[in-house]
Amino acid sequence: MRFYLFIVSLLILSLVSCSDGNRCYDSVDTLMVTSFSINGSEQIKSLIIKGVDRNDLGDTLVNDQDSTLTKRYPLPLSLSADSTGFVVEVNGVKDTLFIRHSMIIHLISENCGFAPDYVISGLRHTAGIDSVRITDTKVNPQSIEKNTNDQNISIYFSSAAHQ
Amino acid sequence: MTKILASTLVLLLISSFQGFSQKKAEVWRYEGPRFGIDLSRFLTPYLQTAKRNGWEIQADVPYKGNFFPTFEFGMQWFDDKRDGFHYKNNGTYARLGVDMNIVKFESMKDHDIVFIGARYGYSFFNQETDGIGYSNYWGTLTSSVPRRTMNAHWAELVFGMKGELFANFFLGWALRAKFPVSVSNDPNIKPYIIPGLGKTSTDVPFDFSIGLYYRFPIFKTKKLPKPIKVGTAKHPSENEENNRNNQRSSGTSR
Repeated sequence: MRFYLFIVSLLILSLVSCSDGNRCYDSVDTLMVTSFSINGSEQIKSLIIKGVDRNDLGDTLVNDQDSTLTKRYPLPLSLSADSTGFVVEVNGVKDTLFIRHSMIIHLISENCGFAPDYVISGLRHTAGIDSVRITDTKVNPQSIEKNTNDQNISIYFSSAAHQ
Repeated sequence: MTKILASTLVLLLISSFQGFSQKKAEVWRYEGPRFGIDLSRFLTPYLQTAKRNGWEIQADVPYKGNFFPTFEFGMQWFDDKRDGFHYKNNGTYARLGVDMNIVKFESMKDHDIVFIGARYGYSFFNQETDGIGYSNYWGTLTSSVPRRTMNAHWAELVFGMKGELFANFFLGWALRAKFPVSVSNDPNIKPYIIPGLGKTSTDVPFDFSIGLYYRFPIFKTKKLPKPIKVGTAKHPSENEENNRNNQRSSGTSR
């Protein structure tokens, strides 16, 4: 009995000492999934997105000049302010969109570290944007895993302003 | 005649003395509360990258031979410094439960047990994080989460062995499956290590312990505990069948 006690003890010890590694298997990129379209039959031929007051080289978030591509992009939100502004240029016409949000930083896992979680609380925009539909107010690292027909917000541009 | 009587008396005395000297010494079974420490808590710092130190004391007392009400108490300090954050967590915990021996004692001196048991666990701890860093298009966030006091409740199923190495000294191990019941909510950090409970990254965390114990032999008995019979209960239909057979046999005897 005592012999087996020792043997089994050693076996358990060796099993438990096996490490599961320090790999991160989860997403830590928190991005607001946004779709863009023009009301009516008009198509988006070009789409350029930048942050408000971000005009340096390399500050362009999206530069899509292919009208055949689906206009659906993940956008980052501010880490320090309670609102985030984007300048959206559609077919050469610029509009501005401000998203109001609250944010907490939260632990994804010990191996992945922290990432922000946002809750969208409101928005305002310039006249070229006809309407904005908020489908999901929660923006977190899982948001980018949404299906192709699902997004956080949908932006509809006025056809009169973007012909 | 007197010689014959005297020699007979001497023979009787010798034989009675021999009989007295051949009488077996009484065999007692000693039992008592057992106190020990969990040696695995001292090995843990060498098995993990994060600093995880602590200690645990354990105690049990025999009840009706095969049952061992058990109490365990410990402390843990956890310090995990990573690239994007520095997490600290420390606290105390206690477990209360009972173990049941499932093997037969082979002699009065056999105290080795193989047991299954159950525990209720409670942990009272605090956690804090600093040096949190996160970057995106808009810049870099540096933040910290202040110290928060938390608690956790859980249940455990235990399987293990305890063997007597030499008089009153025992070595044992236990494998534990833990079932978290409730953990305080922190919106920023779900604690990934809880003192006494272990890692929370899995639904049912497993743990093991290796204990070294000393038993205080303060009770003595002449009774060898009977093994606990498992699975001897009859199925109700079996009892009904027996009753019918009994009724039939009593009917024929009339």
